Amino acid sequence: MIRYTEKIRERARELLGQGKVDVFIGYKKGTVPLMNQPVMIKRAEDVDQLLWDSNCCLNLANYLTKRTEKIGIVANGCNSRNIVIHILENQIKRDQLYILGIPCEGTIDHRAVLRAADNQELLGYSEDGKEFTIRGAGFEKTLKKEEFLRTNCKTCQHRNPVIYDELLGDPVPENTEVDPFSDVKGLETQPPEKKWSFFQNLISKCIRCYACRNACPLCYCPTCFVDESKPQWVGKSIDPIDTMTFHILRAYHCAGRCTDCGACERVCPVAIPMRQFTKKLNKDAKELFDWEAGLTLETRPLFDFYKTSDYNEFIY
Amino acid sequence: MNEWSPKITAFLCNWCTYGAADLAGVSRLQYPPNFRVIRVPCSGRVSPKFILAAFRQGADGVWVSGCHPGDCHYLEGNFYARRKFALLKGLLEHIGIEPGRLHFSWISSAEATKFVEVATKVANAVGALGPAKYLIKQRAEVA
Amino acid sequence: MGTSKVLKKDEWLKVIEDLRKGYKVFVPTKEGDFHFFREYKDGIRPDLNFSNTRLSPKGLIYPQSERMFECPLSKDQEGAFILKESPKDFGPQLVVGIRPCDAYGFLIVKRNFDNPQYRDPWWVRRYESTTFVGLGCNEPCPTCFCNAAAGGPFGEEGLDLLMWDLGDEYLIKPITEKGSNLLAKVEGKEAQDGEIKEAESLKKESQKKMDFSFDITPLKNKAQLELFNEPYWEDVAFSCINCGTCTYLCPTCWCFDIQDEVYKNHCDRIRNWDSCMFPLFTLHGSGHNPREKKFQRVRQRFMHKLKYYVDKYGNGIQCSGCGRCVRYCPVNIDIRNVIGLMCG
Ligand code: SF4
Ligand code: SF4
Ligand code: SF4
Ligand code: SF4
Repeated sequence: MIRYTEKIRERARELLGQGKVDVFIGYKKGTVPLMNQPVMIKRAEDVDQLLWDSNCCLNLANYLTKRTEKIGIVANGCNSRNIVIHILENQIKRDQLYILGIPCEGTIDHRAVLRAADNQELLGYSEDGKEFTIRGAGFEKTLKKEEFLRTNCKTCQHRNPVIYDELLGDPVPENTEVDPFSDVKGLETQPPEKKWSFFQNLISKCIRCYACRNACPLCYCPTCFVDESKPQWVGKSIDPIDTMTFHILRAYHCAGRCTDCGACERVCPVAIPMRQFTKKLNKDAKELFDWEAGLTLETRPLFDFYKTSDYNEFIY
Repeated sequence: MNEWSPKITAFLCNWCTYGAADLAGVSRLQYPPNFRVIRVPCSGRVSPKFILAAFRQGADGVWVSGCHPGDCHYLEGNFYARRKFALLKGLLEHIGIEPGRLHFSWISSAEATKFVEVATKVANAVGALGPAKYLIKQRAEVA
Repeated sequence: MGTSKVLKKDEWLKVIEDLRKGYKVFVPTKEGDFHFFREYKDGIRPDLNFSNTRLSPKGLIYPQSERMFECPLSKDQEGAFILKESPKDFGPQLVVGIRPCDAYGFLIVKRNFDNPQYRDPWWVRRYESTTFVGLGCNEPCPTCFCNAAAGGPFGEEGLDLLMWDLGDEYLIKPITEKGSNLLAKVEGKEAQDGEIKEAESLKKESQKKMDFSFDITPLKNKAQLELFNEPYWEDVAFSCINCGTCTYLCPTCWCFDIQDEVYKNHCDRIRNWDSCMFPLFTLHGSGHNPREKKFQRVRQRFMHKLKYYVDKYGNGIQCSGCGRCVRYCPVNIDIRNVIGLMCG
């Protein structure tokens, strides 16, 4: 993936230089290995900060909300879908954007990598094709990227961008063999008490920092329901039922919109796999409405249109 | 000791099911007394937050009822609602709310008998599950 | 302060286990991939082989959510509508394995919660009834900078006892009277010269590994408005998602919000950690928000830690260098870089 870096720099330099865009949004190398930082470049001479590697795990559509400039941006599969959603939901205009599409080979799960390093802090990271190397105090390990993909990347069905002005490489084959919902299906067969305790357990360490909410491009409401006070839908303490209510509603507000980009899970300081909530919604959207979010600008979002023939079996 | 009987929050559309409940009343049809009715202007007005709020406050069941598809007073509110409810029901049941706690129906204002039938069905289903177990907000569990 | 003792690791752990008779003991324990401080109950396995806990131990003195007052809400009940302090447990606590940065962090917070103008009764009582047994860091993390911000990887300030990991044994040094009284009751051999030398050299080696340093003078000398109006804040803030990670994980962030919760006929007044990164933090009743923009909130966090605190208390920065925000900020906003910018 690192091979995209040069192309991104080159094109960003031209786009900024020719005045085709006012700013360029991408990633730069962070101060901590495995942590890249989203960056907005304003001058052609700064483009060498830009980078693309297997640690670009956030969702850059998050940085587009209500911006007014002409913006150049890099987008892999999932990010491009969130850009589509942003355009459909009037958070940004298509003609404001110049999208450099990146056929994505998947990104890596930094927690799994750290686990492979016995959770010791790293000093360096480099990658080369299908392998990457981590370095720490007194150790160095070369690992296979394939074995460290994030769980959402493992089952991703849209690795090629769905919207772009240029594609920076040849499309990659889509991975249609895997079942993205095997985990959801497994849980679906459990009795209610098992499900409840599974989810109670899942969120038991949540500190309500809202990183999951804020990392998600879908969450741009001026006032989030958790902050509403008249009425107050959910208490603000770490009472388990309030935390559960937060998670249910956060996920539900992503219904029909979530692209399973995994940004929410990536940012959680206590590693809560909260995609288990959104994935159920994604699965039902697919099964009941044949819907996957953000694939095209041609259809309105799932909850913004209906068919008279919609699924009705659950209604008396 | 009183025998337990379920408390069910019912969000009934003003233009149809609420009328059906009325009609059932004037027609002296019997139906279970377990419902706390909240009159709403449309099933489309029922936010998932309302449903969660009901469960949080200890409702043993929730029932939302609106106009038949095509009959919405606002033309299409119930069509939008149907999509929302389909996914909400799936999610709530996935996290452990038992199937049989959350119900939806389309009942026109003329359908007093259907109202009675569905009300009975809902009350029986919730009753069979016993008191609500999950998502009930108690006194804050904090230090 | 008395002499240091040396105990075999399992002997010392046995001592800790037995101390549960007199104290509520908290130890680091591994849950999933990270460590958390948890009460040492049966079934909890203390694990002192850790870099640091994911969350700082500040919650042991200052819980994330804490019931302050309560009252009944129906007229016929006694004391209706009159808030009464909620029952609290201020029994003796023992925190074992706290890192020096985090112990120092409590001293920073203490300036806010325990000063001549204002004393937070619960924070103070809990802090005072707690004994801190620190564990020095032989291998400081690359993201830590306690050497620059606090007392370093074997800093003693804020601790009652300090442990050195000597391989098979711990050297335990009493720092305060509280610590030395506790240690006096522990059976163990007195530390020999060789062991003390070894401990000294571990400390030096560890300090040598820490490479970040800064001079606080510019932070003191620059005017608040000069720093406030610097052009770099928008860039610093660009990637920030305004989550609570940095402030909630931080051992020195102390802000809270108070909420009344009603449950049936009962009212609880609860305080919860709050974060200057949240827009709600400064939202006025009128709807006006003086820190409406993201960069204003990010600026507030750094100005508070690196300027307002410095000016107000004259005692360093409001940061103990634990490195948590550096490691866990999901978008890599690194306070060390911001210190560099502000000092530059
Ligand atoms: S979810 Fe798909 S497009 Fe997104 S990073 Fe993973 S593989 Fe790439
Ligand atoms: S909910 Fe999570 S996975 Fe879905 S779009 Fe938002 S950040 Fe991505
Ligand atoms: S990011 Fe993690 S800890 Fe923070 S609110 Fe989300 S689930 Fe909870
Ligand atoms: S600086 Fe980082 S951890 Fe802090 S609010 Fe911003 S994104 Fe979250």
